[in-house]
Amino acid sequence: MLKAMQKKHRIPSGFIFLLPGLLGFVIFFIWPFVVSLGYAFVDKPINGTFVGFKNFLDLFQNRAYRLGLTNILRFIAISVPLNMALSLGLALLINKIKRYKELFSLAFLAPLVIPSGSMVFFWKALFSYDGAINGFLVNVGIGKVNWLDSGLALLVMVIIFIWKNLGFNMVLYLAGLSNIPRDYYEAAQVDGARPWQAFRHITFAQLAPTSVLVLIMSIINSFKVFKEIYLITGSYPHESIYTLQHFMNNMFSSLNYPRLTTATTVLVLIVVVFTQTLLRLERRASA
Amino acid sequence: MVIDVKIVGKGSVHEKLLMGLVGVVALIFLLPLVVTIVNSLMTEKEITWNFTTQLTSFDLIAGIKEKFQQIKLIPQQVSLSQYNDVLLNQPAFLLLLLNSLKIAVPVTFGALIVALLSAYGFTVWKWKYKEIIFTVYIVVMLMPLQAVLVPNYIIADMLHIKANYLAIILPGIFSPFGVFLMRQSMKFIPPAYFEAAHMDGANHWQIFWRVVMPQLKSSIAALCMLVFIEYWNLVEQAVIFIDDYTKEPLSVFLSRMGEGWMGIVFSASCLYMFLPLWFLLLGQKDLEKGIELSGVK
Repeated sequence: MLKAMQKKHRIPSGFIFLLPGLLGFVIFFIWPFVVSLGYAFVDKPINGTFVGFKNFLDLFQNRAYRLGLTNILRFIAISVPLNMALSLGLALLINKIKRYKELFSLAFLAPLVIPSGSMVFFWKALFSYDGAINGFLVNVGIGKVNWLDSGLALLVMVIIFIWKNLGFNMVLYLAGLSNIPRDYYEAAQVDGARPWQAFRHITFAQLAPTSVLVLIMSIINSFKVFKEIYLITGSYPHESIYTLQHFMNNMFSSLNYPRLTTATTVLVLIVVVFTQTLLRLERRASA
Repeated sequence: MVIDVKIVGKGSVHEKLLMGLVGVVALIFLLPLVVTIVNSLMTEKEITWNFTTQLTSFDLIAGIKEKFQQIKLIPQQVSLSQYNDVLLNQPAFLLLLLNSLKIAVPVTFGALIVALLSAYGFTVWKWKYKEIIFTVYIVVMLMPLQAVLVPNYIIADMLHIKANYLAIILPGIFSPFGVFLMRQSMKFIPPAYFEAAHMDGANHWQIFWRVVMPQLKSSIAALCMLVFIEYWNLVEQAVIFIDDYTKEPLSVFLSRMGEGWMGIVFSASCLYMFLPLWFLLLGQKDLEKGIELSGVK
């Protein structure tokens, strides 16, 4: 009895609080991921033989994979900086307004909470070949444009992404702006700094840590635009918006686990390297 | 003082212009929402008329060569018939809505409990390597959903819950995002509170309930909203795990509704987004705080 009590005291209580969550986390994420790694090195899911790094070489030979990877990277390279610039601009504008601030934030946050499924019919009615935009373009004499089934689909994807995520980033930037001490601007004014100089050396510099985090959140959220794109255009959309997620989903449906796990492993490596770089950048920005 | 008045006076004209500009942008952002709500109040006949582009023989006689879908903002006749139809004549709708609830509600409650306990554990546990464990949480949090689908599938297969909502619910409950958010929030509780409670002889369970929980009210609200919205809007996992159409969440079904049930798609969409929008109206402040916390290092 006494021994049991002593032993109980030796386990730190913080660990006891953490234990249930940690156990679930290991069971549902870490352990199956480690198990899944095995698939990346065999030729078929059942009774496969070890093939070394062949799957990785094959993966990079695969046209669909390369297309998906290039597309998602291109989408991130276009949409993330654009979204950051627009949300910063909007945050700067809203920050200057004293009334109805909450109401404006509400309008920009609404797209974030609207389920993707609820908007599918609207997007289709807007962008399809017989959709409302084309109706308008024909009326003004420009003619029909194939929004969803041409290179322009990428533009549609960027528009939907910005519509959905601008509010999220704006809130982050508004928080960042409210943390900049007002005396900085007063001091700059006393020193005769121009508005542009004040922006560059105070606002922009002080927002650097926020910007790195907005960047991270934007990249996380850029993966999520797949929901809308998938619901609007299905498993095999136009080439310009066939993303890595489409590839992985399709590999899953065709039960090609070795290829899928290989793709996952590469993705995990990319994300880890990328986050490491970003976090280092963030530390430098806050320092 | 004089300078102050000048700035305020100059600002108000300026501010009106700014408000106009931001207002216009805000209206553009709200347009999809407004269109969906307004169209849900039209009659099914009007919806079918506006969004069908197939030419009828009358069109051919009238010499119309092509038709486009029309997005209208003013109903010819305001009617609740779409809602009536969706709720009374389409039992599938309520069934699928219920499916969405069956997934989102348990995940929200489970994730909240796990997040609070784990975050408290991370906060009070004094072990020099705990930050390494936490870094693993962050890395998993940053992964796109597709990267964890295979592991999710493997564990579901092993536990024989593949054909069950548990395959989606359990990983959702233990997902690292909530732990991260709650730990961030707990950093804002002054350490003196913990020490004072400790001095008074409170044990960890009492500190957790009486000191930590009251401080976290708005973070808890934010977490519940974010998790609920995420799982209410479930798409990817449903595509992977659910083969049975009657078990789909509404999100996936809505994307197909445009074909056979065009007349009621807007009311169905409105009913589906009602809960998240209502939560946003109730808890806008909390949600904003939650988003800010996700950015605080």
